[in-house]
Amino acid sequence: MQFSFPRFFLLAVILQLVFSELLTINGFQPNIMLLFVILSSISMENISRATLIGFSIGLLSDLILFNGSYIGLSSLIFSICAYLSARVSFNFVYRNFDLYWLVLVSLGTGLYAFFRYDFFFFNDILLFLKNWIFLSIYTSFVGFIITRLFKVKEGVLENA
Amino acid sequence: MAKIDLFPKQKLDSFILFLCVFISFALIFSNDNRNIQGLRSSAIDTFSFLYQPFNWLDNQLFLTKKLEVLSEENLKLNLENQILSSNKIENQRLRDLLKFRERNEFDFIGADILSKGFSSNLSSVLLDRGSNDGVKNNSPVLSSRGVVGKTILVAKDYSTVQLISDIDFRLSVKIMPSEAEGIMRWIQDDICQIVEVQTTSDVQIGDIVLTSNLSIYFPPNLPVGEVISFYKESNSSNKIVRMRLFSDLSTLNQLFILKGDK
Repeated sequence: MQFSFPRFFLLAVILQLVFSELLTINGFQPNIMLLFVILSSISMENISRATLIGFSIGLLSDLILFNGSYIGLSSLIFSICAYLSARVSFNFVYRNFDLYWLVLVSLGTGLYAFFRYDFFFFNDILLFLKNWIFLSIYTSFVGFIITRLFKVKEGVLENA
Repeated sequence: MAKIDLFPKQKLDSFILFLCVFISFALIFSNDNRNIQGLRSSAIDTFSFLYQPFNWLDNQLFLTKKLEVLSEENLKLNLENQILSSNKIENQRLRDLLKFRERNEFDFIGADILSKGFSSNLSSVLLDRGSNDGVKNNSPVLSSRGVVGKTILVAKDYSTVQLISDIDFRLSVKIMPSEAEGIMRWIQDDICQIVEVQTTSDVQIGDIVLTSNLSIYFPPNLPVGEVISFYKESNSSNKIVRMRLFSDLSTLNQLFILKGDK
């Protein structure tokens, strides 16, 4: 199955809304949009294009999906993750697909956690780590199911 | 003619990343700008329809559970009301005797939660009431049990509420009956911490925490929570008090926005 950008974008928006409204665990929600940006950027050859798309999706998410968040935060994190995601070589992705997106998800959620729990970061590092790890594991767990369910790996590698 | 590259490919990629990061930081630091606030209000008004189906689904799926919670709460409130009614008569009589000034009655706007929102850095909910209904910025928001937050962004028909569980939320509170005052902030789940409480104050486990008279946005005596533990801060003349919120933030459905000025 080809990795169709518009189709997976729509799916990501719907899943993000579903998880936001119905599947919040202890106040934590998986960041499906971050997952989408990382996975869609892997197959992009043009790094600048991937970065700009990540930035635009981040801005859109801040305005529409993530009501209450600071405008600019998601665009910052998505740009960085899209840039790093697009830089990877095909051979590396082929061999370490899951490892690669998992590392980037941890990085992205880590940046989110840093902005959200900055007070804990400077005052109670254990509480900060607990929140970051939980957010990261939840997003990774959901990502693992999504990548298997929609055969994302095959689609991404076919496009790359 | 040979094509001259102003930017080699790799440098262009880095430049684009730098530009995106720069614009993002510029946006983050100008979130309080009136134009940005206006843009956010317009976005909420325009795209709130996206949340409607999921909100409807949420209501359908958890309707029985919500009914159970509401019935239980109703029973508790009924019993409490019986006691308070008799206390009110006695209190009114004593106030009349002492010629105390009449207290202001609170006026609330009921609102449904439209979206619990994805909160990357802010714990917030979206309500289906806005400036058209008389909601103003920084208005206190309560559940049926107590304070849950304040409005931070008011669009025409919707408003965003910053919940107590947001790490940046601070509330000036007092602990009753000792009237010890302090600043409350969220720690985790439904546990909050009150700092700047004098060591000499007589705080006991089970004491009630209310909003204090010092808050800019919150009127005094709104219920917040109850004390569950306290300890003395080392090298300080203050003690730290831990409290549990009255409101269960994970099961919020309907909220009440305090109308008008303090």
